[in-house]
Amino acid sequence: MEEIQPIEPETAPAATPTVKLKLRNVSMMFHGATQTVEALAPLDLEIMEGELVVFFGPSGCGKSTLLNLIAGFEQPSTGEITLDGEPVTKPGSDRLMMFQEHGLFPWLSVINNVTYGLKNRRRYRFRPWKQRAIAREWLKLMNLEEFEKTLIHELSGGMKQRVALARALAPDPHVLLVDEPFPALDALTKSKLYGDLQEILISRKKTIISVTHDPREAACLGDRILVFTPSPGRVQKEIRVELPRPRDINDPAIGEYAAQIMAELESQSDEKRQDTD
Amino acid sequence: MKSDKIQIRKTTVYIVIFYILIFATWQVLFNAGLIPDYLFPSPVDVATRMRELWEEGYLLPSISATAQRMAVGFSIGAALGLALGLLMGVSPIVNHCLKSLFLGLQTLPTAAWVPISLLIFGLSVHGIYFVIIMSSVPAIAISISSGILHIPTIYIRAAKTLGTRWYAMPVRVILPAALPAIVTGLKLGWTLGWHGGVSAELIKSSVGLGFLLYMGRELNDSAQVVGIMLLTILFGLLLDRFFFGIIEKRIRIRWGLEKNE
Repeated sequence: MEEIQPIEPETAPAATPTVKLKLRNVSMMFHGATQTVEALAPLDLEIMEGELVVFFGPSGCGKSTLLNLIAGFEQPSTGEITLDGEPVTKPGSDRLMMFQEHGLFPWLSVINNVTYGLKNRRRYRFRPWKQRAIAREWLKLMNLEEFEKTLIHELSGGMKQRVALARALAPDPHVLLVDEPFPALDALTKSKLYGDLQEILISRKKTIISVTHDPREAACLGDRILVFTPSPGRVQKEIRVELPRPRDINDPAIGEYAAQIMAELESQSDEKRQDTD
Repeated sequence: MKSDKIQIRKTTVYIVIFYILIFATWQVLFNAGLIPDYLFPSPVDVATRMRELWEEGYLLPSISATAQRMAVGFSIGAALGLALGLLMGVSPIVNHCLKSLFLGLQTLPTAAWVPISLLIFGLSVHGIYFVIIMSSVPAIAISISSGILHIPTIYIRAAKTLGTRWYAMPVRVILPAALPAIVTGLKLGWTLGWHGGVSAELIKSSVGLGFLLYMGRELNDSAQVVGIMLLTILFGLLLDRFFFGIIEKRIRIRWGLEKNE
C-alpha cells in the first residue's frame, strides 16, 4: 500500500470554523483504595478547527487528566469525546501528543525519531526517501539539520524538545496536544521555542491544545484560555486573547493578560473559601 | 576530561600496587614455611606449573573446550531466557506462574544441576550444556521480564500517540526500550552459566578448565589447582566486567539511565 491517496475528501473551505473536537459531559473519577477522587467534574467543550486552546491551572486541577482523555490514553468515567464526529477510544496520530519529558526514543537517531510517526501512517504512507526528506525539512525548521545522525543523549534539553516538536509535527496531525513541553528550560531557549511554535502554528493551521501552569505561557500561546480550578477539576473561566501573532512572551500586553488570568484564579479560590466557611 | 583520565590512571596504579602486594605477601608467607608446600604453592610454583601445562599442550585445548561449551550452552540459554522473559513481560498470567518457578530455581546453587545432568545425559557434553542452560535461563528470564514490565510509560505512550500498531509494539518499542534490562539479564545469566559450566566440567569431562581443576586435585598438585582457579577468575572477569560490562554501560548511558563519567 505505497500508493499515495488523499487523506480525506476535499471539502470546500468553510466560511465559519467547524467544530474539530467535541466533549460532552466528560468527567473523570479515580478510584483509590480508600476514597474516590473526582479529578474532573462533568465538562462540555467545543474546540474549533485551527484554534489554539490553552488549559491553564494549578497542579491537580484536572487539566492534564483532560489532555490524557483527549489523547485517548485514558477513558472518561462519563461522557463522550468526538473528533470530527468520530468517538475517541484509543491513542492515535490524529491527536498527537507532545510530552513534558520529551519521550524521544534513545535507540533511534534524531532523524529516525522524526520519521518514526511517518512510518506508522495508514492512509497516506510515504516512501522511505520521502519520509527522510520530510524529516529533514522539519529538522531544518528547528535549526537541527546538522544533528540528524546525533543520538538523543548527546543533545541538550532545548534541542531534545525541538526534536520532540519535529517528531510530533512531521506526521502532520490534525490535532496537536502539548503537555507543558518547556518546563525545565532556561528563559532564552523558552522564548525562542515559543517563537518557533507560533510561527509553525500560523503557517500550518493546526488545532492545538496546550496545558500549562505558567500564565505568561498561556497568554503567549492561546487564542482561548480555559482557567481550571482544582477539587474537583473544573473550568472556571474562559478568556479570549485578542493579540496579534506572533506574540513575544516578554511583551507587556502578554503580562497584562497573565495578570488577568492569575486574578481569575485567585478570585475563584477566594469564592471557594467563602463557600466552605 | 583530562582530570578524569589522570584520575583513572591514578586508580590503575593503586590497583596494580595492591596486586603486587598480594603476590609479594603470598611469596613471603610461602618462604616462611608455615604451611607444607604441597598444600600451599608459591606464586612462582603456580606460574611454573601453568607454563608446563601450556607446553604439555593441556592448557589451550582446555580453554577452547570450555569456551566452546559456554558459547553453545549460553547461546541456547540466552535464546530460551529471552523468549521466556518476553512471554512473561507480555502476559501477566505467564509471568505469575513462571516467576514463582524461576525464583525457586534461582535459589538452587548452579552446581546442584550437575548430579541430575549426570543421570539424564551421562558423561556426554550435552550434560554440560544442560547445566549451563539451567543455571542461566531463570536469571535471564526474570530480569528481562521485569525490565519489560518497568519500561517507562512515556515510551509506550509516545509510541501509541505516534500511531504504532499493537503488533509492531514488541519489535519497535518494547524490545529496544527494555534493552538495558536485557543486557543486564544476559550478563547475569553469563556469570551463572559460567559457574554452572565449570562445576559440570569438574565431574563430566576429560578436557576443560573444570577438568584441569579436578585433575590437579587427583594429582595432589596444589599449584595446578590454584593456577587454574586464577585462570578461571581471569576469564570470568574478562567477559563479565569487560565484554558485558562495557556494553551494558554504553547502553545505559545512551538510554539516559547513567551519566557518562
